[in-house]
Amino acid sequence: MFKELADFAVKYALKKGADYSEARLEETTSNSFILKNGIAEASGFSKINGLGMRIIKDKTLGFTSTNHLDKEKIKKLIQNTINTTEKASHLREEINLSSDKPHKDKYEVKQKINLNDVSPEEKIKLLFDAEKELINTKIKIPSRYLSLSDSITTEYLVNSDGTNILATVPRASFFYLLTVEHNNKTSQRIWQYGQTGGFEFVKKWNIPLVVVNEVKALQNNLKFGIKPPKQALDIVAAPQIVGIMVHESGGHPYEADRIIGREGAQAGESFITKEMLGTRIGNKAVNVVDDPTLENSYGFYNYDNEGVKARRKYLIKEGIINEFLHNRETAYCMGIKSNGSSRSVNYDKESIVRMSNTFMLPGNYSEEELIEDVKSGIYMKNFMEWNIDDKRINQKYVGAESYLIKNGKIKEPVVRPVIEITTPQLYKAVDAVASNIEYHAGNCGKGEPMQPIPVWFGGPSIRLRKIRLGN
Amino acid sequence: MQPEKISSHVLDKLLKAGADDVVVSVSRQNSSLVKYSNNLINTTKTWENIDLGIFMALKKKIILTNIKEFSLSAADDVVNKLLKFVKSVSPNNEYAGIAKGPFSYKEVEDGYDKKIASLGDKSIDYVEKAINKALASGAKRTAGVFESSVTDVSLLSSNDVKARDKGTYSYFSIRAFNSKDASGHKVGSSRMLNLLDVENLAEQAALISKQCLNPEHGRFGKFDVVFEALPFANIIDNLGMAMSAFSVEAGLSCLKNMVGKQVANKKITIIDDGMLRNGFGSSKFDAEGVPTQRNVMVDKGILKTYLHNTSTAKRFNTKTTANAGLLSPEPTNLIVEKGDFSKQELFEQVKNGLYITNIWYTRFQNYNTGGFSTIPRDGIFVIKNGKIGQPIKGIRISDNILNLLKNVTAVGKMPERIVGWEVVTPVVTPAVLVKNVNITRPAD
Repeated sequence: MFKELADFAVKYALKKGADYSEARLEETTSNSFILKNGIAEASGFSKINGLGMRIIKDKTLGFTSTNHLDKEKIKKLIQNTINTTEKASHLREEINLSSDKPHKDKYEVKQKINLNDVSPEEKIKLLFDAEKELINTKIKIPSRYLSLSDSITTEYLVNSDGTNILATVPRASFFYLLTVEHNNKTSQRIWQYGQTGGFEFVKKWNIPLVVVNEVKALQNNLKFGIKPPKQALDIVAAPQIVGIMVHESGGHPYEADRIIGREGAQAGESFITKEMLGTRIGNKAVNVVDDPTLENSYGFYNYDNEGVKARRKYLIKEGIINEFLHNRETAYCMGIKSNGSSRSVNYDKESIVRMSNTFMLPGNYSEEELIEDVKSGIYMKNFMEWNIDDKRINQKYVGAESYLIKNGKIKEPVVRPVIEITTPQLYKAVDAVASNIEYHAGNCGKGEPMQPIPVWFGGPSIRLRKIRLGN
Repeated sequence: MQPEKISSHVLDKLLKAGADDVVVSVSRQNSSLVKYSNNLINTTKTWENIDLGIFMALKKKIILTNIKEFSLSAADDVVNKLLKFVKSVSPNNEYAGIAKGPFSYKEVEDGYDKKIASLGDKSIDYVEKAINKALASGAKRTAGVFESSVTDVSLLSSNDVKARDKGTYSYFSIRAFNSKDASGHKVGSSRMLNLLDVENLAEQAALISKQCLNPEHGRFGKFDVVFEALPFANIIDNLGMAMSAFSVEAGLSCLKNMVGKQVANKKITIIDDGMLRNGFGSSKFDAEGVPTQRNVMVDKGILKTYLHNTSTAKRFNTKTTANAGLLSPEPTNLIVEKGDFSKQELFEQVKNGLYITNIWYTRFQNYNTGGFSTIPRDGIFVIKNGKIGQPIKGIRISDNILNLLKNVTAVGKMPERIVGWEVVTPVVTPAVLVKNVNITRPAD
């Protein structure tokens, strides 16, 4: 790694008149394997070695990046960025950074089984094992798409405030798309697993079992599913549903850059305003946090991409809007310090406010207790279609594996129950939270250019009272 | 060492080691972006990158690599890793080769503009002009981006392909706000700077934002909808993904077994044109080096073909459509053929319906059936007796993409060029009228 080049770049930018400079060097190697309908479609690997810089001059921000790791090239890019910030200065948003303590540290996510010590053959075999188990079910599965990916990223972050962080994070993920057919009708599921750490986690996922359970549930729903009831009823939502709910409407609207309008053009703004801090958004049972420090989580980091120490953030505390996600820029705007939420997916992307692992905190009930207390309702285990508007109010989740609840008991499967609800309605309808918890992996999209970033979303099972299902 | 020399070095080494097919591409890209919100520039960004992409087939074992590190030693490392890697991967017995050259190529008309190549920080002037125009046209706030880039792609294959293409690109997006609930969004894209009218886009976005002040909550039900070009391009982009033979095989397409069948109203003809003049997705050749072409994908509502590379074409017993993607064929520019109606004439055909100027977050319930939902945003208006009326908010389109295309009853005559955050494939489309669109919303 060319650490000295990043150190040089930061100093050179200051020499050329920058008030603040920051360099982020990235070295990533990755592998991926695809099995499509039992055929090893392709395997691949890639390597990234590049440098990204943020430079502030006269309160104007510029970003530049390159993978020509050459001193002369970098000098030219820095000069160019300084010139551009000067030209933009008459029309710029005034950029100030909160005065967060600089850190010097290095850390590495340990791997019990190093991802690079496992041969491509063994990785593909896992997918073939899953394929074999899928075929053994005798269920009609016309499309089977399985892929396994892993990467190891080393990042060196240095800035003119004295920050100096070296981090190595290995990451693995498994993705599947399965289509099950019964009586000329099909049902589909797409899902993903992901963690930071070594190959031990890939083994732990038990991929063959995961996909077999999935197709059995899809088939059961196709074979025996009934239409969902029309009247208002109670819903017990399992962790996959709760995870996506809190990501979309308990995480995104709390991103401070949305709140101040910086993502207004595309990713959108937020229905939440600064003035809403301390006001009620949901029932007392609702606690939503974002926590990058969960060990081996998909969105793990110890320091964010501005070098701020990561910590758990309570976005909703006992139903009250408690805290937003901040980088140093938005924190300054709101007169506070950053809470370490600045991330960029690669060296060539500007770090912006992002979620990490966003989840609802568990409560005291068992999932069975939530179900026992429902006379007429739906148990929604997972989903396929979902979306939310760009201010994060109007959201929809379409159940995939779902069942009717009658007098406290799980009954027959239900076909595609639809929750279409506003954010305040959703969080006010939560009357009980179970003690179970699951985390699920995804790649959250935001930024211009778009930068999908690894996150976990999760939570316990929850109960929503008196929900009218959508069409 | 010159990138092209590294390419031929890699190709020779892999062929000597026994590879059957090799494609090496080198892509050089210099880009810049100005991001603005609240009428101020948030940041300026520049990128200078080189990518080396290698595709290798050895005894039907397929390996793809992409390396963002460029030197002879890095290339040698890649070759060694490829040869080691290939030993332990499984063959793809469905693989059927890459195209055989040599080919002759035509230049993309209006594909390169020196003014974009030398634009530099003058892009800030364009942003300033656009913000000022939007404010003068009644907007209170604006947000968006101006992007420009210069690319130089060279391609070398083991089947006598040697090709190079240079291109320039400019893209402008502006969202104008009049309140938190009243906004208008327009995007523009061009390979030639003088064809990108940022002030016109700014003015149009501002006008929508003014027009949709004080929206009421919309109703659910079936409505006739006039889709602006921007939201209809989002739908067509999703259809384009379903057209790829790879998507058909992977279960990601509602067009499986539909070639020769009616997939849209007969008023709909869709062309994929890789050589479209000034086309944002135009290039001289596809990822195998085959000269791109004009493919009629949907002819008066009938699906004519999927998008193919050489390998998928052989599996479907047809010829490549010059849409490689080495793994997955991809659309280039999707063109919805224009019809006869002015926008006013589209509105006049609606007694009780909606006018939708943008959508986002399109997600499928089942890619096989085409069931999906998407959320209208920015200006949404009720149409009453042919006239645009009350602005609304809070609705969702919950329908099926094939139903929607079959229910297109009128096509506008003024196409727009759309590409953007959610419209990945460049689409050229006019506004359209779609009957009986299912609208849902959260219960009160």
